[in-house]
Amino acid sequence: MKVFGMTCDDCVFTVSNGLKSAGATDVFVSLENGTASAVVDDSVLSPQDLLKIPVFGEKSHYKAQVRKVE
Amino acid sequence: MNLGEEYDLVIIGRGAAAFSAAIKASELTSGQASIAMIGYGPLGGTCVNVGCVPSKYIIEAANVHQAQINTRYPGLTGVRTEVDFPALMESLREAVLEERRTKYSEVLRSYANIKVFDGKATFTDRNTVSVIGENGRKTISGYNFIIATGSSAKVNKIQGLQEAGFLTSETVWDINTLPKTLAIIGGGFIGLELGQSFSRLGSSVKIIKEHSTVTAGIEPELGEALMASLSGEGIEFMTGRKVLRVLIRNGKKVVVTSASSGNEEIEADEILVASGRTPNVASLGLDHAGVKFSERGIAVNGSMMTSNPDIFAAGDVVDQKYKLETLAAREGAMVASNMFNHTDKSIPMDQIPWAVFTEPQFASVGYTETEYTLRFGKAESRTIPLESVPKARILRKNHGMFKIVTDAETQKVVGIHVVSPYAAEFIIEGVYAIKYGLTYNDIIESSHIFPTVAEGIKLAAQSFTRDISKMSCCME
Ligand SMILES: Cc1cc2nc3c(=O)[nH]c(=O)nc-3n(C[C@H](O)[C@H](O)[C@H](O)COP(=O)(O)OP(=O)(O)OC[C@H]3O[C@@H](n4cnc5c(N)ncnc54)[C@H](O)[C@@H]3O)c2cc1C
Repeated sequence: MKVFGMTCDDCVFTVSNGLKSAGATDVFVSLENGTASAVVDDSVLSPQDLLKIPVFGEKSHYKAQVRKVE
Repeated sequence: MNLGEEYDLVIIGRGAAAFSAAIKASELTSGQASIAMIGYGPLGGTCVNVGCVPSKYIIEAANVHQAQINTRYPGLTGVRTEVDFPALMESLREAVLEERRTKYSEVLRSYANIKVFDGKATFTDRNTVSVIGENGRKTISGYNFIIATGSSAKVNKIQGLQEAGFLTSETVWDINTLPKTLAIIGGGFIGLELGQSFSRLGSSVKIIKEHSTVTAGIEPELGEALMASLSGEGIEFMTGRKVLRVLIRNGKKVVVTSASSGNEEIEADEILVASGRTPNVASLGLDHAGVKFSERGIAVNGSMMTSNPDIFAAGDVVDQKYKLETLAAREGAMVASNMFNHTDKSIPMDQIPWAVFTEPQFASVGYTETEYTLRFGKAESRTIPLESVPKARILRKNHGMFKIVTDAETQKVVGIHVVSPYAAEFIIEGVYAIKYGLTYNDIIESSHIFPTVAEGIKLAAQSFTRDISKMSCCME
């Protein structure tokens, strides 16, 4: 996924934690590319659902968009 | 996806909706979303270049001229000053340039992530547009699209019109000679505003309308009040007339019209076509993008998403009731927010105010009585004349009306419609009333400033409960 709004390692930490606490595994967040990759169990959480988790919510500084689903 | 140049967001258009969307998207993504903004013509689109800004400029100038002639107060003698029309138009064009520079060109400098492209965009597939500009063809791809291509002046096919030549709201700003006689075909809000301005500056103005109402969809009694006021200062309304053809005779333009009473010819130095707006959908290749549209514009759901979930639309190009700068800008921002926040916010159209900047002004929000009755069964309404408002008497202005429409059962305000001085400045009271579900009693129980024209809203609310002609001044 493309992640907007990350500017430092703290951001990477916050976004990673946000994804993990939503149930994503194998989370990898790149500050340099502004991207994140993660594995989700589609029957529990779809990639689109991930976009609505609190760390990417309306009040959060970070925004995300799904770019590729494998 | 065809990877030409690739952006997080591609915005087609560079008017109010486009700018608002681009800036909001930049804010939401901390300037990290790469944005392509594609358009042609001057930056800023209709409003700043050929719409709100020049029209309000000429209106205000014409009002100053009128106030010099007709001071309204005994003891103050009016003076008829010379209108230097070329100088006025030059200053209008300078004002447009300045507004465009400060509010559009310079604003862009703050957003390094927004890249502006010159040219006409056409979808070649669901994620790609081909842009043809002066520098050739370019392919631009995007993950998200916003179509904000606006609308253009609608010019119906009329025999001889093209040959005779005519003005529209897009070209009228370039003229330097005040037409002695001006025939306006169509009289929506643009025709009325420009008609009054030119009339006040010295043109003899005839407005040719197919319908008998002043503009479609407004409260009929308010339309009549506005028309009476404009007629009273010399604008001639020729209603119920169909334009058959246009020709040139002895160097003059002649508009041949038909009515039940027979054909009539209207001779004029210049013709202004003001018959509405056409959404700019034609050359966008929307079929390639899976975006549904009609001649009324692009079809969207409440959150402004088109039939292709990656493509949103905003502004005049959308199939919707109003074509307004404020609405276009709000929709642009909301679309960007829905896109990056993954929300589905919408804008309730019954809370959108609109105005005609004639003198007196017309301003309206919410349902007309007929609309509400047709939709929900039963409405109640009260209408009061402008003369019952003390400030109007002080201003020595008496053409106007206030109308409040409420739900018959709940007494909640569902529409406020005004013809009066400054109506556009205070219609926001109606927006809040509708937005927050206020009743006419809530309006009565809110103190208004005395003496203001806005007090008319309170008096109209009071007229639901008593005979206002038997009230003393400012009575609660
Ligand atoms: C005379 C007049 C007076 C008005 N007065 C008022 C007023 O007082 N108050 C008010 O609220 N509203 C007013 N309006 C309405 C207001 O101007 C419009 O509602 C508003 O400007 C619409 O903005 P937009 O962004 O939707 O479209 P626009 O501003 O029209 O922008 C459309 C953009 O799309 C571009 N475009 C079109 N097709 C393509 C294509 N295929 N490829 C690339 N680019 C394309 C154009 O170049 C342009 O940049 C007035 C309009 C007129 C004409």
